[in-house]
Amino acid sequence: MAVARPTFIDEVRQSEQFNAAACMNCGVCTAICPMGLEHLPREIFRYVVLGMEEEVLKEQETVFSCLLCKLCEENCPAGVHITENVRSLRHYFDRKAFRI
Amino acid sequence: MNRRKIGVYVCHCGGNISDYVDVEKVVDAVKDEEDVVVARTAMFTCSDATQQEIYDDIRELGLDGLVVASCSPKLHTFTFRGVAKRAGLNPFQYTQVNVREQCSWAHTDDRQGATEKALRLVRAGIARTRLLRPLEPTVVETVPKTLVIGAGIAGLRAAIGLADIGLSVVVVEREAEVGGWVKDFGPMYPRDKEGRELVRQLEAKVRQRENIALFTSAEVVRKAGSFGDYVVDIKTHGKSSMTMQIHVGSITVATGFDSYQPEEGEYGYGIDGVVTLPEYKKMLDAAEGSLEYHGRPVKDVAYIYCVGSRQGDDGPHQYCSRFCCSAAVHSALELYTRDPSARQFHLYRDMRTYGRYELMYRESREKGSTYLKFAEDEPPAVRKGADGRLVVTIRDQLTGQKEVEIPADLVVLVTGMVPRENDALVGALKLPVGRDGFFNEIHPKLRPVETVVDGVTICGACQFPKNASESVASGLAAVTQSAAMLKQGRAELDPQVASVDPQLCTDCGVCYATCPYDAISPQEGHEGRRVAVIDPATCKGCGGCAPVCPERAINLEGYTQAQIKAMIEGLAREVV
Repeated sequence: MAVARPTFIDEVRQSEQFNAAACMNCGVCTAICPMGLEHLPREIFRYVVLGMEEEVLKEQETVFSCLLCKLCEENCPAGVHITENVRSLRHYFDRKAFRI
Repeated sequence: MNRRKIGVYVCHCGGNISDYVDVEKVVDAVKDEEDVVVARTAMFTCSDATQQEIYDDIRELGLDGLVVASCSPKLHTFTFRGVAKRAGLNPFQYTQVNVREQCSWAHTDDRQGATEKALRLVRAGIARTRLLRPLEPTVVETVPKTLVIGAGIAGLRAAIGLADIGLSVVVVEREAEVGGWVKDFGPMYPRDKEGRELVRQLEAKVRQRENIALFTSAEVVRKAGSFGDYVVDIKTHGKSSMTMQIHVGSITVATGFDSYQPEEGEYGYGIDGVVTLPEYKKMLDAAEGSLEYHGRPVKDVAYIYCVGSRQGDDGPHQYCSRFCCSAAVHSALELYTRDPSARQFHLYRDMRTYGRYELMYRESREKGSTYLKFAEDEPPAVRKGADGRLVVTIRDQLTGQKEVEIPADLVVLVTGMVPRENDALVGALKLPVGRDGFFNEIHPKLRPVETVVDGVTICGACQFPKNASESVASGLAAVTQSAAMLKQGRAELDPQVASVDPQLCTDCGVCYATCPYDAISPQEGHEGRRVAVIDPATCKGCGGCAPVCPERAINLEGYTQAQIKAMIEGLAREVV
């Protein structure tokens, strides 16, 4: 059982642009991803908004595999700033996993 | 007896009927029946082209009887009565035969059986039509006054509309104050106008109008008379308790709804910190800054949707309550205006923020609300955690079916609307109550505010769950409908009613109790005897009295004893 930690999102958020919660879970981003990244961005963002930190930490490779090509962001019907959110996540890994 | 000239039209319904009923075979079998002068099939009998064809046949062949075998009479009786009338045939010399709901849709596994049944029903229709005689509608004078029952937002708005259209209005409200639910509301979606302010405006407008009489702490206790001139007893409570009698031409019912009250333990209801949507709204409306509950700050809020709605096949509330998704999302936005850093979790089955309310749903997500979806068969659970806070567990369909625990300071059960207990009023007005407990209209699309009781309309949330805008819209629809009925000063009633043959009546009294509309009463003075008499304006033609009469003294126009006998013979005849 994962325990939600609502304050976690504040640790990941880098700017006001961070809007992972705006996602409506349609799945267009996953379907369209040229890298075929299954867990990006929809599912990882959910772990962030729910504060499931352990699950986020498992996704390090996915987060850094993203090309930041913005194909998903261009097609997102909910206006999620996906690349900005991924950058926020990379900053989080820098601090948390790589301690830089 | 002179031969009749009957036209028979059997409908394909574009395949809805003809896929399972051999309509050509039915026509072949009846075209040479006695009195049938024309029998045809049509792809869509209700289409303009076929209506024109029927019209031409009536005029050219001089038809004096019409049989249309298509869908349920609920759908198109008035369509084909209209065709008959336009062509100069008395509209009551037409019979609707239902070969869709009763044949093709009911017997998709048995084409031959469905076809035979259709043929029998058509033959019965022809037999009935042979014995139909022209009827003229009963005309009644109407009193230019409407009674509005319930002074919530729908009833108040309807009263103003009725008054401005030139009718006198009597408003009866059970509570001591007008305004119903809305009078206690703060900002309401859309546009965040305060409910209490809306009610204040409406009440002021009602009081300005001399042709509106408003009675609070009052109830309707009895209704007599018939459409056009209903006699209604109103009882007021409190210090000046009294009963008065008024005459009104029509009645508009706007008695509103009750909020679903969860049972003890349902989603943790009863645990300190688990509240219903109305309780939560009250807290929000009262809060200046960030929210507190029993002295504790509220930072994390979890909403559980569909509480008391969509209860599955066994539950008493199987319907979607419609307003609650939008109301809960709006409440979430309200909380953000007081406390932008509040953390809000929405546990839902399906989000239905229809129309422009979708924009609120989007705004709530942009402001950080998180939505989690649970399955119908695995609802979330609420318990008190070790630290005294609430804990909600959910298997989230949107996070790979993972079970998630959500800590919360407050759990809001998003409760729906349920029908309000109103047995006395239902009894007094003979209001039609649907399976869901709400009042029923005649036709959801074409006659959305009229009921089967002539002159009685319904509006607002007593009909089905509606938000305030929709309630007011239906209130205004009821205004239009009441005005349409009353402004002519006269009304035409269906003449297909029952009557008693005084020669046969023995005043045994059996029929008096049978009538659900109190239309039958004893009258003295028929050749010195007392006999039963049916008031044609009150009778609805339901036919309940005819079969109980031991003397067969009662005949329902259009379904006389002779017609029923002829129809049975038509049904029972061998299908060759």
